[in-house]
Formats: sequence, structure tokens, C-alpha cells
Amino acid sequence: MPKILIDDRMVEAAEGLTLLRAAENAGIPIPHFCYHTAFPPEGSCRMCLVEIEGLPKLELACSTMVKEGLKVQTMSAKVVEARKGVLEFLLAEHPLDCPICDKAGECKLQDYFEEYGLFRSQFKEAKEKREKKFKLSRNLILDRERCILCTRCVRFLNEITKTEDAGILNRGIHSEVGIYESELIDNNYSGNLAQICPVGAITDSDFRFKTRVWFLESDESICPLCSRGCNIAIDSHPGHPRALRTRRVYRVRARPNPDVNSHWICDYGRYGYAYLDEARQDRLVWKKGGLETRLIWDKAAQILTEKVRSLVHLRKNSRIGVVLHSNLTNEELFLADRLFRKGLGVEKLFLADPPPGKGDGFLLTSDRTANRRGLLEVGLPVQALDAKALSDLDLLFIFGHYLADGTSAANLKYALEKVETKALFASHKSGLDGLVDFVIPVPVIAEKNGTLTNVDGRVQPFVAGLDFNGDGLPEWRALLDLAKELKVEPKYFWPLASPEGVYQALRKEIPFFK
Amino acid sequence: MERRSTGSWRAWNRTVDEKVLTRHFGVEGLFRIEVYRGQGGYSAVETALKKMTPAAVLDEVKRACLRGRGGAGFPAGVKWGFVPQNVPKPRYLCVNADEGEPGTFKDRYLMNHNPHLLLEGTIIASYAVGIHSAYIYVRGEYEAIALRLEGAITEAYRNGYLGKNILGTGFDLEMAVHRGAGAYICGEETALLESLEGKRGHPRLKPPFPASVGLFQCPTVINNVETLSNIPFIVQNGADWFLKKGLPKDGGTRIFGVSGMVKRPGIYELPLGTKLRTIIFDHAGGMKDGKQLKAVIPGGMSAPILTADEIDLPMDFDSLAGVGSMLGSAAVIVIDRETSILDVLSAVSKFYSHESCGQCTPCRIGTSWINKIVKRLARGEGEEDDIDAIIRLASNIKGKTLCPLGDAAALPILSICQKFRRELEGYLPHA
Repeated sequence: MPKILIDDRMVEAAEGLTLLRAAENAGIPIPHFCYHTAFPPEGSCRMCLVEIEGLPKLELACSTMVKEGLKVQTMSAKVVEARKGVLEFLLAEHPLDCPICDKAGECKLQDYFEEYGLFRSQFKEAKEKREKKFKLSRNLILDRERCILCTRCVRFLNEITKTEDAGILNRGIHSEVGIYESELIDNNYSGNLAQICPVGAITDSDFRFKTRVWFLESDESICPLCSRGCNIAIDSHPGHPRALRTRRVYRVRARPNPDVNSHWICDYGRYGYAYLDEARQDRLVWKKGGLETRLIWDKAAQILTEKVRSLVHLRKNSRIGVVLHSNLTNEELFLADRLFRKGLGVEKLFLADPPPGKGDGFLLTSDRTANRRGLLEVGLPVQALDAKALSDLDLLFIFGHYLADGTSAANLKYALEKVETKALFASHKSGLDGLVDFVIPVPVIAEKNGTLTNVDGRVQPFVAGLDFNGDGLPEWRALLDLAKELKVEPKYFWPLASPEGVYQALRKEIPFFK
Repeated sequence: MERRSTGSWRAWNRTVDEKVLTRHFGVEGLFRIEVYRGQGGYSAVETALKKMTPAAVLDEVKRACLRGRGGAGFPAGVKWGFVPQNVPKPRYLCVNADEGEPGTFKDRYLMNHNPHLLLEGTIIASYAVGIHSAYIYVRGEYEAIALRLEGAITEAYRNGYLGKNILGTGFDLEMAVHRGAGAYICGEETALLESLEGKRGHPRLKPPFPASVGLFQCPTVINNVETLSNIPFIVQNGADWFLKKGLPKDGGTRIFGVSGMVKRPGIYELPLGTKLRTIIFDHAGGMKDGKQLKAVIPGGMSAPILTADEIDLPMDFDSLAGVGSMLGSAAVIVIDRETSILDVLSAVSKFYSHESCGQCTPCRIGTSWINKIVKRLARGEGEEDDIDAIIRLASNIKGKTLCPLGDAAALPILSICQKFRRELEGYLPHA
């Protein structure tokens, strides 16, 4: 590996790396606007100029490849002066409307000005007047005055979606980003444009004017809306001690992972975050004789284990059924298998998933759940759901609210009425709530810990970012509690207390997860 | 009063012995192939293709120290030598006939009077580098010249100088004319390539250089019209003869296009190293209507300006570089004392602000900002620190842009502000 000297520090960098990346890897940031890791260098913003010993001019860090013995200065007087120059040019024609700009707080131009600029404007002329609200797509609005023409958006549409919807129109100071007349950008990845825009030129009407970024907390998670498992960041409002929080989640952003989603997520995943807050189950209730009683989980678990025990005692194991879904984590599916099938000899394991959608050939798959591959690899012998089979049961554990999706309401009601005890573990309210005896709220992926196996067989761990506010508990804990309460394989279940522990057991037993 | 059509060849007939490229300009119908051949035309193609190997041609051009006539002055032979020969991709030659530098009109005359000379040079260059497709990129405004070139190409095809198996030597070459759409930036070689590919004329990031990754991502040679027009003479007369025509490290003649306040504006083919004073006062007949010389732009508008005291220097790449200017396209713009330097500055800043392609930040916003300040100065609303501001902004453009056009804009503006600061300050309202 070539050794180079950056700011008098010896740095080893891989062959074929640009100076900018090599420096970044070494913890030396080099400011840039047009450069984006996902694209070949453009070299147009001129912000990343650095001094290389022996070369008369400043050189671009974004396009210069590392070479043995290069001596680079990223903070020399000459470099800082050049950065100031570029910032001065950009700000001369930039509306200073940060107070009403949604990008403020995460704007590269703003950040770099704080870091390298801090000069007084000497621009005495009139700024160019341009379109402030140019509609680019259903959700995106382009402010041409704020645009610094880094062309990241144009290159994204040329190189990633390959739809070539946008280009630069006109010349010189009149250059602007444009699209075909009367034809909006319409693809499943357009939301990425607002995310890669380094300034507030492209804003997302889904987020525009809703909050300020510095009020938001960002949590890492995995998108559960299809089986790709794109890495995401969920930006939410943590609330304020003296003000009621009107809304929790404000947006979902792509988190780079070169092995899964590069730097992108689809619009289906980006704008589909409403499920995190809407129609959530929050009360653990027991319905008995037309009365709803709020319970704590321990009490509910006691009643349920009692029921299981009596059925097992009467050798009526076949009258216990479990409905699962493929949004459960690897650990939860594994625990369900160990407890119900292997521990209690339950044979009626059903699967109720949301109906498949259409994949788009890039990131979005046709699955509408996150862990179909995990279900397959854990090896649960699930059956397709059959309303008739349900009617032969005395006890039914229903995980997920998807049961209501596949079966007609009347049939479902008829079938479930015959089942004596029904416990629903669901994150969301649904038509099932009225048909069951226990409703136990559970968290969604963003609110619990575990691993998911994506469509390509990649096992991705995640941790709870958002708080789970319901009465209930995560499914893995419920399953462990039931197993311990029932004293099924106590030696096996007793030491297990966390998803991490469960995963260790899972790894030992199923070769795929090694 | 003495009035002549700009650039008439007759104006400098007395130095006929010195001339190479423009020697036969007076011959009636030279643009037709029979006439051109009657003057010895296309014999260099015969010599090169039949008696010389490509390597021998390349070697001769290298030895001749033929430096590019487009402006940068890069040795043509060296440029050809950069083209990789062992790649499976096709190679291309592009003739840069996008003569857009203000003050420059030499290529126009060359192509108009003697299009076959360019074709002949292009054929030999293609042979030397192993190229089978050549394009002539003509600036959009040169419509008549594009037609003339197309006529010449048709004639050349008909006479077996183009097409398959040229002169029975087995060498193939296809040639076509492509017209630009009137953007100055497309004279920059990589923007030219983009434009030729049918894209927006934006310069490319270098490296890679066109010699390795050029037109359609293939190795490409790009040469100016005048550069290529010299090739037949180098092949016919040898590198030593060519060097004797110019300077030891800078072979051949140069066509100087003189414009502005002189008695006989026009093109003058003279040996490299001819004194600027000689060009203005002898060849171009001196100042018009008894006016006084104030300044000279020696190499097209991008070249830093020279004051009247600085004209006693030989016109060659190195001498001009030595005084901080450049030979560029050898377009000499003569400015008299009655011309306001603010008008000159306005013309320069307006041109570059208008022609900046807008791709990179310093050039896009810098040229426009400078132009806004200059316009304000011209309105009589200048402020004390405006000239310093122009200098500061131009310095922030200089050396920091994606393509050479940033320097092309910054250098003349800087030189005007520095050399004529006192006069510019006279335009401030308080003065």
C-alpha cells in the first residue's frame, strides 16, 4: 500500500483510492460539495483543492489518486485561502435564507462557512433572481437560488436510476438544474435527491417546514418494509419537557452500506414511516364477557401458561395453534420453533404475512416483510393459513395483525369464534383486536434488538433506536417468559435472557447463521 | 484614407519568401483540388504514405519542434507520441477549428483559402498515429467555411486521398466536418470532445488526457488547424528546414492576426520570434490616423495585456511567457490611447462572463461578479475598493478552475487592473 504524507502525518492508503478518501479514512476531513462516494469525481465545486509538494497549482483531492510519497497539505495558508475563495463565490450568489431553509443545521455550505469562511460579504451587486419553488417531482421542490450546481442530483439520475430526467440548462451564471418540461421526475428513488443535495436546493415536501434538524435525534435501524434490509437512519423528535410532542418520527434517511443499499433507499421505504406512529397498540388488555381489563404482562402470561398446561396435560397439544409472520427477528422465529414445535409439540404453525407487492429490480423486493429469508433459514415448517384449520383449536397465539389481511372478515370471525382462547401479539391495531381475548402490544423493528436476514442471506443486527411506549414487550421476551413459566427445557431456556444470547444459541444450532 | 479588407493576403505580399502556409493564397481557385495539386499539393501525402513509415513521420514532426498553434503551444509530435498504440480501441483525430478566441481569425483564412492543406496535414497526422477517423470541428459561425471544407473533403474522396486504401497504400481514413453551436468553451479540447459526442460542451476533468481517453472514450489527437497545416511542409522539406524557419525550440512560422487601430489589419505569416514592434509598425503599417499606441494584447484576448513600452520583444512562446503574457493564438489586438481602458476591461469581462460554461464555481460566479463590478464602474458608480476587489476575485479564479478558461479570464483582467490601475481609478466618481 502506498504511503503518503497528509499534513505531515504518515498515512497508508490503498492503491486506487483518491486523496480525499485516503484523508477521510485517516480522520482528516477535506471539505467538498460535488464529490460523492457513489459517483466518479466531478471536480466542479473546487472546494477540495489541496497543496501537493512539487506541483505549482493546488490540486483536487477528489480526483487525485494516492501515489507513493505524495506530500499533501490540507490546511496550508494557500489551501485555506482557496477554500475561502470558493465559499465567497458560492455565497455571493446564494440567498442567505438559512433561517427559513430546511437544510440549515445539516448544510455543507453553512458548516464550511463556519469552519473555513467567517468573512464579511463584499458582494455589493444584485444577486441573480431565480425560481424559488420549482417542482421537480411529487415530493421534491427545487430552489434554484440556493443551488450551487454540484450536479449530484443530475448524476444520481444518470448513474443510479439511469432515468436521465434532469440536466443543466443554460450557461455560465444562468446555469440551472432543469427537467423536461411538463414531465416530473417519477421514480422510486427520487427521495434520495433531497438527501444528497449538499445545500437546501432540493427539499422534500414531506419534511419541508415541519421541524428543524437540530431538534431531531437520529437512530440507526433497518428498513423492514421489504426484504432488502436497507440500512436507515430514523430521525425523530425526542420531545421537550414542557411541550407536548405532536409527532415522533419526521423522516427516514438512507444510511450507507456498500453491501446492501449503497447510499440509497427507495421512496417506498423513505416515505412509508407512518406505521411507526400510526394506529399503534398501546394497551395490554384481557377481554372477558364483554369487559376489557388492563393487565400487566406477568398476569397475562400466567393465564396463558395455565391454559397451555391444561391442554398439554389432557394431551390436546394438537389443539394449540400459532400464527407467525416474517417480520419477526431471526431470534424470535428461532424461539417460536424451540418453544412451540420442539418444546410443546405444536404442529399447527401458520404464516400470515402481508400480501406481496411489486419489486422494482433495484432495491425494493416483492416481499413486504423484512425477514422472509430468516424464516426460511430457521426452518420453521409453517403452513398456509386455513380458516378451517383454525376452527379445530382451543388456544391460538397470533403474532402480527396480518391475519386480517388475507382472510375475509366474516370467515375469520366465524373461525376464531370457535377457538376458546386467542392471544394477539401485535404492534398495530387491526380488525383482529375485536376477535381475540388478549391483546398484547409489541414493538416494531425500530424499537427492539435482534437480527434480520435479508433477501441475499445477509444477517444484519440492529438495536432499538426508538422507545417502545406500549404496555407490552418484545416477542422474544414474551416467548422466553412463556418457555420459562412452562418449564419447557429449563436447562436450555433459563440461561437465555437477551436477543444476543438467543443468537449465540441459534448460531450453534443452524449452520446457516455461523 | 486607406481602407483594406481585414486580413487581405495582398497586404504583405512583399515578404513572400518567408511564407509557408499562406504562400499560395493568391492563386485563383486554390481551394479546388486541381489548382492545389498544380501548386504541388498532396505530394506530401504521397511522400509520407509511400516512402515513410508512421514512426518516421512522427519522428520528423517531433524533431521539427512544431508547437501547437491553438494557444497552449504544446509540441504536436510529443502529443501524438502519447497516443497508446497497443490498445484494441479505435483512435480518433479531431481538428480544432473552433476558432473562438477574440481577435483570432487565422484559421478562418487558412481553411477558406487552402482547405486541402489542412486535409493533407490531417491525413499525414492520421497516418503517423494510426488513425482511421478524423473530425473537423468548425465553429458554428463559420458556415461558409464548413461548406468549403465539405467540398474539399468530397474532392479528396473522389481523388483517392480519403476513404479506403488511400493511393493504393492500404491506409484508410474517413473524415467528416462537425459544426459547433457557437460556444467559446467548445474550443477547449475536452469540451470540444463532449460537444462532438453530442453532449453539452462542458470540459472534462483531466487526467485522463484525450491522448488516452478522448472521443467516445478512445485515444484521441486534437490539433489546431494551423498546426496540422504545417505538417505537409515538414514532411516535404524536413525538420531542419522547418526549424530554420523559426527558432531552435519552436519551429516554423506563425500567422499573426493583427486587428485594432492599425493601418493594415490582417493576417501576417512571419517567422516565430519576429518583434512585436515590427509586426505592428512595419507589417501592419503602424497606427491608424496618427493615433498613439497604448497597449497590445499579443495572443488573443486571454493573453495578458502589454503596455506600449513592452512591445520590443520577439513574438515566441518563451519570450512572451517571460513577461507574464502568452503568444496564445498569435492574435495581436492593438489598442490606441483614445480607447478607454475601462471599455477594454468591459469587453473582456463581459465576454468571459457570457462564455463561462458554468461548470465550476470560480469561473461561473467569479466572471459574473467581476462583470457586475465592471458594469457598475462603467455606470460611474464605482467605489474605492472595486479595483482591489476585481484583482482579488480574479486571483481567486486563477489556477483554481477545472479548465484553462478560468485562467484565460483571470489573467487579462488582472493584467489590465495592474498595468492600468491609475487610469481605471480615474473612473471612480470621486476622482
